[in-house]
Amino acid sequence: MFRFPGTIFIFAATLLLRTANGAEVNVYAAASLTDVLKEIAANYEKQSSDKIVFNFGASNLLARQITERAPADVFFSADEAKMDDLQKAGLIVSETRRDLLSNSLVIVVPNDSKLAIASPDDLLTKTQKIAIADPRAVPAGIYTKEYLSGLGLWDKLESKMVPTENVRAALAAVESGNVDAGFIYKTDANISKKVKIAFTVSVEKGPAIMYPIAMLKEAKNKNAAEGFLRYVESDSARTLFERYGFIAKF
Amino acid sequence: MKLEIRRLSLRLEQFTLKIDVDLQRERTGIFGPSGAGKTSLLESIAGLRTPQTAMISLDGRLYENTAQNYSLPVRLRKIGYVPQDESLFPHLSVRRNLLYGIDGNAKHDTFSFDHVLSFLEIGPLLDRDVRSLSRGENQRIVIARALLSAPRLLLLDEPLTALDAKLKNAILEQLRSLHNEFGIPMMYVTHDPAEAIKICEEVLMLESGKITARGHPGQLLG
Amino acid sequence: MWLTPAEWQIVRFTLAVCALSTLLILPFGLAVAWPLARYRWPGKLLLETLVTLPLVLPPVATGLLLLKFFSRRGGVGQFLHERFGIDVVFTWRAVVAAAAVMSFPLLVRSARVGFQSVNQRLEHIARTLGASNPRVFFTITVPLASRGIIAGILLAFARAVGEFGATIVVAGNIPRRTTTLSLEIFETVQLGHDASAYRLLIVSVIIAFGAVWLSEALMKRSVSR
Repeated sequence: MFRFPGTIFIFAATLLLRTANGAEVNVYAAASLTDVLKEIAANYEKQSSDKIVFNFGASNLLARQITERAPADVFFSADEAKMDDLQKAGLIVSETRRDLLSNSLVIVVPNDSKLAIASPDDLLTKTQKIAIADPRAVPAGIYTKEYLSGLGLWDKLESKMVPTENVRAALAAVESGNVDAGFIYKTDANISKKVKIAFTVSVEKGPAIMYPIAMLKEAKNKNAAEGFLRYVESDSARTLFERYGFIAKF
Repeated sequence: MKLEIRRLSLRLEQFTLKIDVDLQRERTGIFGPSGAGKTSLLESIAGLRTPQTAMISLDGRLYENTAQNYSLPVRLRKIGYVPQDESLFPHLSVRRNLLYGIDGNAKHDTFSFDHVLSFLEIGPLLDRDVRSLSRGENQRIVIARALLSAPRLLLLDEPLTALDAKLKNAILEQLRSLHNEFGIPMMYVTHDPAEAIKICEEVLMLESGKITARGHPGQLLG
Repeated sequence: MWLTPAEWQIVRFTLAVCALSTLLILPFGLAVAWPLARYRWPGKLLLETLVTLPLVLPPVATGLLLLKFFSRRGGVGQFLHERFGIDVVFTWRAVVAAAAVMSFPLLVRSARVGFQSVNQRLEHIARTLGASNPRVFFTITVPLASRGIIAGILLAFARAVGEFGATIVVAGNIPRRTTTLSLEIFETVQLGHDASAYRLLIVSVIIAFGAVWLSEALMKRSVSR
C-alpha cells in the first residue's frame, strides 16, 4: 500500500518541521516563583516560538530530581545551597549562574484569625501550631529556622512547628485554618486572598535570601534556554518580579 | 401438658405443612417418612421457624399468634430441643455445654446437676473434649443439656439414628422413664416404629405435611 | 542498639497508634461484618461498596476526605476545636484516624467470613437454652468466628502500620508528633539517609511478615476444620 521508505521520510520531515517551529524549555523553579514565572513565560511566548514548560516545587526536591537526571534545562532555586550542590556535581553551566532575586519572610495568619501577633515572640504564647516549609530541607524553612535561631526562639517554638513539603503547602495550611500561623515569603502572602500578614521580617534583620538561576549542562535546547534566561533578566521581567513583591538583584 | 396448635400453615419446598391439633399426652410421637415435615413442625413449636399462620399455646401460655403479629422469643419459650445432627458447642467443654442452660437461670428453676448426670450416666464424660465423644455419648449429653435448662417441653428429633441396637435400647429406657424422673413432657420424632412403640403414649402420623392418623402406637404401627 | 533512639521512638509511636486504631475499629468492624454476614436488605450493596472504598480509593484521596472532615473550618473538626479545644489535623489523632479508616475494610472482610462460617443451628440451640441475643453473640457466635476475627485484626494492624498516603495528607510528617515508620522511611529516602532507611525497612518487613503469616495460618486452620 504505502511506499514504506517514502512514508518514513515524510513522517521524519514533519517532525523536524515541528521542532524547527519552536523548542520546549523545561524550567525547574522554586514553588514561590509559580505565579510570577507563569506570567513572565506567557509574555515570552508571545514574542518567541519557544514553549516554556514548568516544574514547580521545593528547591531541594527539584535539585534531587535533576541529580537523578530529570530532563531540566533551567534551574531557578530559592537558595544558594541547592545550586551549589548541583555546581559541585558538575551539572550546571557555571557561566550562566546568576543571583537574580531576593525575598522577605513574613508571618501570616488566616484572614479570619483573631490572634494578635505583632512579633515572633507572640508566637510563643498565642499559637499552638505554626506551618513552615520543612526546615530540614526546603529553603523557606531553612531561612525561617536561621532567623528564629538568631532570635533564640527556635528551640522554644520547634514543638509547634508543622513542617510541609514546600512553601506553598505551608501557605495552604494557613489558608485552611488548621494551623494558627505560618512562615512564608512575602510574595506568597501577596497572591493569597485568604491570609493576612501579621509580621514582616525586615530585610536587614532577616536571613539573606537569594534566588540563583542557571542553565544545565545537559539542557536539550541550549539556544532556547539561553533565550529564556536573557528574557528573565530583562527590564520587563524585572518589572513583573517587583510587582509581585520580589527584590530584584539585577 | 396441653399443647394447642391451631391453623399452622408453613410453606415448605414440596408442600405446605398444615397442622391443627390439640395434644395432651406426656409422651407424644410424630411418625412419618423423611421429608414429611416432622422437623419443621418441631422447629415451629420451638420458635426456630415462623409459620405463615399459626396459633400455638403451651399450658395456656401463648407462644405464637400470627394474626396478632405475636411471637414469643425463643429464649423465653423454655422448650428443650434435641436436634438430629451434632449440636454440642464445639468450643466449650462438656461441662460448660451442660451448664449453658443453667447459667443465667434462677436456681429453683433447674434440676439437680448430679441427678441429671447420674440418670444419663454421663458423669465420667465431664472433662472430655466435645470432639472426642462417640455419637451415643454425644446424644446423651445433648439430652442432658436440654434437661438441665428445666424446659416445659422436650422436643427430640430422631435422637437415636446411627446408634447400634444395644445402645439405642439403653437410651430408650432412659428416655421412657425421663418423664417419671423429671416430670417433663416430650415430643419424639422418629421413622422407626419400634422406637415409637417403646416410648410414646400417642402417635401422630405425618405425611406430606398433614396429619393422616392419630392414635396408640401399638395399634397404628404394630 | 541497632536502631537509634529517634528510630526507636518512631517504631514505638507507630506500634502504639496502630494498636489504638485497631482497637477502635474492632467494635465497629464487628457491628458491620455481622449484618453483612447474616442478613439481606435493599441497599446492602451500598454498604458493601462503602466499606470496601478505602481499599481501592487512592490513599491520598481518602486523606483529603479526612482533611475536610476534621478541618477546623466546618465539619467535625470545627466542633471539636471550639467545644473541647481538640485538634485532629496535624496531630497524632489524625494518624489514628487515617490508620483506622484505611484498615477498616480488611477487618470487616475477614470478620464477615468468620461469621459466615458459624453454624447458625448452634445459635438457635443456644436460644432454646434461654440465652439472650447478646449472650448468644458473645458466647457462641464470636468464639466460633474468632479465627476470622483475629485474622482480620492482624491484617488491619499490618495495614495500619503500612499506612502512608492518607496519613501524610491529614497528619503531616511532624517529627516526634506524627512521624510514623512509613513517613520516616519516605523522609530518609528523600534526604538520602540510606542506612537509616534500610534499618526501618527491615523493621517494617518484620512487622508485616509476622502479622500476615499469623493471619494466613489462622485462616487456613479455620477452613480445614
